[in-house]
Amino acid sequence: MKHFLRMFVQVCLYFYCKCLWRCLKFVVRKLTGRCELQRICYNTKPGAARTMKIEASLRGSKSKRLQTSVSVHPDAIEKTIDDIMELKRINPDINPQLGVSLQACLLQIVGYRNLVAEVEKLRREPYDSENPQHEEMLLKLWKCLKPNSPLKARISKQWCEIGFQGDDPKTDFRGMGLLGLYNLVYFAEWDTGIAQQVLSDSLQPKYSQFSKAEWEKKKFDKAIGYSFAIVGINITDLAYNLLVSGALKTHFYNVAPEAPTLTHFQQTFCYLMHEFHKFWIEEDPLDIMEFNRVREKFHKRILKQLQNPEMALCPHFAASE
Amino acid sequence: MEMCFRALCCKGPPPPRPEYDLVCIGLTGSGKTSLLSQLCSESAENIVSTTGFSIKAVPFQNAILNVKELGGADNIRKYWSRYYQGSQGVIFVLDSASSEDDLETARNELHSALQHPQLCTLPFLILANHQDKPAARSVQEIKKYFELEPLARGKRWILKPCSLDDMEAVKDSFSLLINLLEERDFEPSRM
Repeated sequence: MKHFLRMFVQVCLYFYCKCLWRCLKFVVRKLTGRCELQRICYNTKPGAARTMKIEASLRGSKSKRLQTSVSVHPDAIEKTIDDIMELKRINPDINPQLGVSLQACLLQIVGYRNLVAEVEKLRREPYDSENPQHEEMLLKLWKCLKPNSPLKARISKQWCEIGFQGDDPKTDFRGMGLLGLYNLVYFAEWDTGIAQQVLSDSLQPKYSQFSKAEWEKKKFDKAIGYSFAIVGINITDLAYNLLVSGALKTHFYNVAPEAPTLTHFQQTFCYLMHEFHKFWIEEDPLDIMEFNRVREKFHKRILKQLQNPEMALCPHFAASE
Repeated sequence: MEMCFRALCCKGPPPPRPEYDLVCIGLTGSGKTSLLSQLCSESAENIVSTTGFSIKAVPFQNAILNVKELGGADNIRKYWSRYYQGSQGVIFVLDSASSEDDLETARNELHSALQHPQLCTLPFLILANHQDKPAARSVQEIKKYFELEPLARGKRWILKPCSLDDMEAVKDSFSLLINLLEERDFEPSRM
């Protein structure tokens, strides 16, 4: 019986979405004299709430031209706006602001899509030890994090000091490819103070439970249980999933006045790394084995924050100034 | 949709499949997470190194395997034994194309696991992964190098080659493991 009711509700919702909703829109347009796009632009202030409503409205439109407008090339945006205004029979002379608002929204919408494509391309590119640019980036990562400690050899156990798993970081980049490396280097280069602090904290002994003498006796990792680089790559994975699933739209549409770029994504990564580090210390897990549990809890927290349309995770990113 | 149909046709829910708790170990990069993800029909394309451990319920036609997958990095392997309790079987994954040093480390880890008090009576499924790589060693070479015949005598183990591009073969290997697990269910007196 429960299954039948659930099915019935789903069928009703389907009919509502397809038929009733359009009837409702038609009635409201006749009453207010404005189409949905106009109502959104007049009633919602600029920001993520407005852009996301415009995006939903365009995607759900019965007109193919409107549906495809969310995936046009950035150069074609002006023409697309003209087409939309014409289709909706809106006079640009009477509604000059509408064109400007729609253009701003569309720039963000299209920009987000392009950012997803750009990030995906970087992720798919595997780290290549034969590529001098990749090698240079890897060495730059070391120099930024450990300026006073020269790297003895390209393949060496020293890499474990910054949290890689073995003597050749190449194998740790699997899954996230160059994107992982780019994010770590950006963090180390532009947010050096915080990056070095996080690294140093990750190597500190956990004094909270034991006295120093006891610590020396036990053969634990003398650390809060954290591998900087590996955690960084995992946070890149988290940021990547947030981006691709669309969860980051709230943040980017609030923070980037025009199209969101890779730099915005990297700044978001820096913010997430710092926040995760603070969260880890707050959670005080026993050791690294609890990583996935803590990561999942952190992920849920960020998702909840992003549900608020006014949310901007890191509105003032210090390093970019 | 199937549940709706069953409810409408007054059929009960399908009979539950037996569940087994397994632990999956192996060195970093051997392919544990990728194999388990693909068995769950998830994409293995953007998998990062496992830090810590993760639990996956892997469904098969005649059983559900609750697999505790443990990360294989140097600093994590020392915690493996913490998770052995309550396991009914072990999956050991190794990279057939790894360096000599890594293969030796894998051998030591496998031997430790085979002799560990909480695992020594359990069935082992040993997967020689990455068979698609040109440098991959054959199953015969691996069996000889790992000294499985003398060391694992009296224990139940299966050694199979595999690679991510042939998931059917992987599923067959797991079916053999499930058979061993089922056998165990019927032979409590042997323990």
